[in-house]
Parts: sequence; structure tokens; C-alpha cells
Amino acid sequence: MAKKISIYQIAYKNLLRKKTRSALTILGIGLSAWVLISLLGFNRGYESALNKDIDNMGFQVLVTAKGCPYEAATLMLKGGTGLRYMKESILADILKHKEVQQVTPQLMAAIFDPNRGESGGINAYLGIDPATFPAMKSYLKFKQGAWFTDPNAFEAVVGYEAAELEQREVGDKLLIPEKNVELKVVGILARSGTADDGTIFVPLRAVQKIFDKEGQITAAGIKVDKNANMTELENKLYDLPDVQVVSMAQVKTTIMSLVSTAKVMVFSIALIAILIAMLGVVNTILMSVLERFQEIGIIKSMGAMPWDVFRMIWTETIILCLLGGAIGIGFSFALSKITDILIRRLLPYTPTGSLIAINAQLGLITLAVVLGIGLVSGVYPAWRAARVRPLESIRSEGD
Amino acid sequence: MKYLVIIILIMSLVSAPLFAAVGCDLNDPDRDVKRLFPDSTGYKTLYVTIAEKGGDALLRRVEERLGDKFKGLFETADVPYTMYQIFKGKDIIGYIHGVNQKGQYGGVQVVLALDIEGNIRAFYFQKLTNQYAKLLLDREFGKQFIGLNLKDFNDYDVVTGQAKAGSRMAAIKNPAPKAEEDFRAALRAAKKNLILCDEFLLGNKYLK
Repeated sequence: MAKKISIYQIAYKNLLRKKTRSALTILGIGLSAWVLISLLGFNRGYESALNKDIDNMGFQVLVTAKGCPYEAATLMLKGGTGLRYMKESILADILKHKEVQQVTPQLMAAIFDPNRGESGGINAYLGIDPATFPAMKSYLKFKQGAWFTDPNAFEAVVGYEAAELEQREVGDKLLIPEKNVELKVVGILARSGTADDGTIFVPLRAVQKIFDKEGQITAAGIKVDKNANMTELENKLYDLPDVQVVSMAQVKTTIMSLVSTAKVMVFSIALIAILIAMLGVVNTILMSVLERFQEIGIIKSMGAMPWDVFRMIWTETIILCLLGGAIGIGFSFALSKITDILIRRLLPYTPTGSLIAINAQLGLITLAVVLGIGLVSGVYPAWRAARVRPLESIRSEGD
Repeated sequence: MKYLVIIILIMSLVSAPLFAAVGCDLNDPDRDVKRLFPDSTGYKTLYVTIAEKGGDALLRRVEERLGDKFKGLFETADVPYTMYQIFKGKDIIGYIHGVNQKGQYGGVQVVLALDIEGNIRAFYFQKLTNQYAKLLLDREFGKQFIGLNLKDFNDYDVVTGQAKAGSRMAAIKNPAPKAEEDFRAALRAAKKNLILCDEFLLGNKYLK
């Protein structure tokens, strides 16, 4: 009894007849699928990583005295100078705004250590409020120890990198040069990938006392209600005397607008890659149809209907696209870390989290897109094949 | 296809993010090399870790030679040591290496410049925090180490802080008795520094 062969098997065997051509077409589709899914993943990943970075700051708005450096790095660049102070009473004014969920005061203190290295160096300490700061920065985890035992204690919690540089562990001491004040290390933070890794945290009251800055702060971190209008709050905060408002919303908007320009460019490239892959598919299948002109004629003379031939050719296209799509998706999952590194090298600013967020859902979307493109690309070659007239094609053999 | 899968797996593993421990680089290598070796024409930077060079067995040998265990969160086998080979033309004329050591109030960074035989040409602190740091940072303190090598340091016990009577190590004076902890930290750092140089640069010339 003759073995019945399905249309899928015929299509598959046809593709195997020109292995190199089929493989190259699959590779082309695979590369396009890879670019597409990586871009879709980047679209999701970048924004979520940026949001995570902003959330990791614990507060979305920072109010500092006008002209005051608001991060340790700037302070170091300025050689520990340029600190400006606000009255601690400003916290009450900030809390009056309904958009403000929580506020945490900070006092940055820097001191020159002439004995640090050959030409001295700056030591910086961040005074924080133990009642509000740890709650806001809940992502901070401890490698050793815990937060301060008392809001007035001369204790320190050290960021991982600062602890590594200073070789500090819980129970060790830190010396504030010139003041000759000893701090007891009570906690070592685990790596967070943020600026906190390089920071030495001390209770606010202790820093105020050690540096004679009672009642003064350098910054107030504000956690804003999620549903609040950030711009409105910023405008209100500017009504406070002699302050500058650093909003992470502004920073995010600026970064996202920069990145969206890059995204448009990269999506255009992806579109071109997809079009090229589409033409590749049309070319491969069309060539295959033209080469099998007589064969298709014979199949039709044996009773195959135009729709059967159409389906057979269309199935070849779908197989090519499915295989290419699957390979591309596999590549994107396996090489997402490398893509991440490449993007980090290309972009001027990248957040700390994973930039490429690829998941099964994106994989399915990409596969659907590739399949859709395949179906469209296969229509013309399949239609040409379906239109083959048996007698005409068989006669053409001798031509 | 099998090879493709293997390549992809290897590449994805290689690109995994790594968080290495911190080493002790020179603050300004170009300037420091020229200052310590004025006749040098160039230098090569080598990065080595005990973990990569010999793993646990090497760690145990280094600890044995030091006479003390590696301690704490940050003194581990994966600390990258930055070693500078100093050249005059094509010839190596010496080495520079710094190590981090836990001190009383912070990290102590002790940098040694060695000749090709492993004798100390220069000793200095790149980082030190102490009320009496000035006394230890004084050039006269560093001068006491010039000419010493690992053989001399073998006469010094880093745990007790005692040196064999009459040895060259016993002659090293602490100019800041109130900073005894950092003085001993400096000697431990120097001995560890010499052992690592012997292991990684001098082919274990001083290994008994």
C-alpha cells in the first residue's frame, strides 16, 4: 500500500532540496527576529531599569540649598567645599504639601584629611535620619550588622565599596580627621549598584553635633505620592526661599527623550532588516517555484487543485519563517547579556538594571510578527505557483 | 548546530556580570613609576589573584608563609593584586606593588618598590588614617625598610608583632607608639606584599 504523504512533508522535503539556500534564508529571518525581539526587549527593559533606579533613590525629589552640591561625587570634585545649608525647619514647610508622602533630612559633611595619601584627600559623611531614611531606602540590605542603635549615637553604616576601601567591618572604628572623633561601625551594606555603595552614613544628630551644624541640613529627600502631579509640586517647592529642586521626573524625561531618538533610529534599522528578510523570503520561494515549474505542472495534471499548490508553497514559507523566528528568538535569549553590553557602550547614559527585558510573551509576539511577514511574503510566490497551467509548464520543459 | 549551541552558551556565561573585590592600584602610575624608578622607560601592569593562580592550595601556602590567616570580609583569595613590572628598554629593572591592610581607623595601603632581586627600594603609605599618621608617613620611617627583603621579614611574626632578637626587623622602630596597631598593620602588609611578589613575580625565590 502506498504511503500517504502530507502537504507539510512535501514542503519540508522541498526546502531540503536546496539546503544552503534555505539555511541562508532562515539565518536572514533569524537575524531580523533577533533584532526585533532585542529592540522590543530594550523598549521595555530600559524604562523599567530607569524607573527602578529612580525608585532605588528612595525619593523622587531632592531639595537643597541653592548652589549646594547634592551628591558626594560633586562634593569630591569641588574638593569638599561649596556646601550650603538650610534650616531644618524647612521640613515642616515641605510636609505641608499634600503631594508629599514623606520627607527625610540629610546633612552632608566633608573634611580634608591631610594624612590621607601623599597629598591628602576628602572624607565625606552623610548624616541621615534613622527614623525616615532606612524606610525610604528599603532596598538597602546589610552584608553585616544593622542600622544605628540610637539616633544620637556616634556610629556609622558603611556602603560596600567604602567598607572595602576602608577595610571596615562591624565593630571596627572610623576616625573623623581633625575632629578626632571616633565612629563605631555598626553596619556594612551589601552592594546596591547605587551611589550608596560609596557612602558613609552617620546619624543626622551626630553629624550636626560633630560639625557644629545643629538645626541645619544640606538636603531634604521627598517621597512623592504616586498619583501626585510632580511638576505642580516642584513649582510649589520653588516658592520656598533659596532652594533648588532636583526632580528625578525631570531627569527621567530628559533621559527618555534622549533615548527615544536613539530608539527611532534603531527601529528604522530594524524595519529595514525586516524588509530585507521579507524580500529574501520572496526571492527564495519564487526561485524555488520557477525552478519547479514543470514539477508543479505535473502535480496539477495529477489532480492537485490550485489551492493545494498554493498551500504547499505557502507552507514552505511558513516553515522558513518559523525556523528563522525560533532561531532568532533563541539567539536573543542566549545573547541578551552581550546585547546589553553593546547597548551600554552605545548610549551616553544607561541605568543599572538589565536593559533588555525579554520574556516568553515578547518571544511569542516576535514569532507572530515573523509568521505574519512570512504569510504576506509567501502570497505572491504561492499565487504564481497556483496559476501554473499544467500543459504549458510540461511543454516548456523542452524549450 | 551542536557547536553553535556550545558557542552561545559559552558567550552568555562569559558576559555574566562580575563583581570583583577591590585591589590597590597606584594613585597615579605614570608619576609614581617615574618617581620610584627615575631611570625607567616604561612599565607593564599585571592583574593577578590567588584564586586564579593557585586557588586554595596557594592561599594556604601564602597564609603559611605569612604566619597568619587571611581575615575578614575583604582579605580573600579573589582580591586582584595590581603589580607593576618596571622596564628600562627591554629589561625589567624592578617591581612596584601595593596591598590593602586593615588598619585601626581605615584601610592602610602599603606600596613597595623592589629591585629585581626582591630587595625593597622604597616603602610608603598610599593611604593611612590615624591621629599619628604624620609620624608614620615620615620619610625616615619608610627609609628603615630600604634594603630589606622577604628573608628578613621571615624573622618577623605578624601575629605577635615580635621580631627575632638582633635581626634587621628588630631594628625597625615605631615612631608612633600610640599608633601601634597601624605600625603592626604596616609590617604585616609589607610582609604580605613581599610574599605575593615572590609568588607572582620572582618565581618563589625566597620560598624555603
